[in-house]
Amino acid sequence: SHQKRAPSFHDKYGNAILAGGAIFCVSTWTYTATQIGIEWNMSPVGRVTPKEWRDQ
Amino acid sequence: MTPYVDCYAQRSYPMPDEPFCTELSEEQRALKEKEKGSWTQLSQAEKVALYRLQFHETFAEMNHRSNEWKTVMGCVFFFIGFTALVIWWQRVYVFPKKVVTLTEERKAQQLQRLLDMKSNPIQGLAAHWDYEKKEWKK
Repeated sequence: SHQKRAPSFHDKYGNAILAGGAIFCVSTWTYTATQIGIEWNMSPVGRVTPKEWRDQ
Repeated sequence: MTPYVDCYAQRSYPMPDEPFCTELSEEQRALKEKEKGSWTQLSQAEKVALYRLQFHETFAEMNHRSNEWKTVMGCVFFFIGFTALVIWWQRVYVFPKKVVTLTEERKAQQLQRLLDMKSNPIQGLAAHWDYEKKEWKK
């Protein structure tokens, strides 16, 4: 017999949970990586002006 | 629990040692008695009912694509995202004050010292510094 399966929890809410989880993950990590004051120690090349140190 | 019985039947082992239902009602036992006779006497519904007594799932149900991975991956992403919140909390309440050698001024002085030592002059830091004009090479 070809009875139709009732949609499971995953059929009903899987897409919403997947999308919600992915958006939450991306947004929190974007915020954490850029806004809370973590410094990423980028290369100084072309960015930092060196400062004399010997006369200290 | 012994594998491959009851609901552990699967595509690679489709015939469980025990039937799915072991405790039968009066009605079901009568059906089982009827099964011992000629199967041409059984109606379609009775055949299906007998199948359902024996097996947990049909092959169509076993082969059915599941959306469970969406729920699983959604939860995985949620907890990975939650980790970022924990790190935020640590940044505020756990991290120590920045040490003096990590201030902008000290890092600029360290950079001058690295350039004075001609650090990594072929492809690295000093290779990008113009020592004549005292600026980064364009």
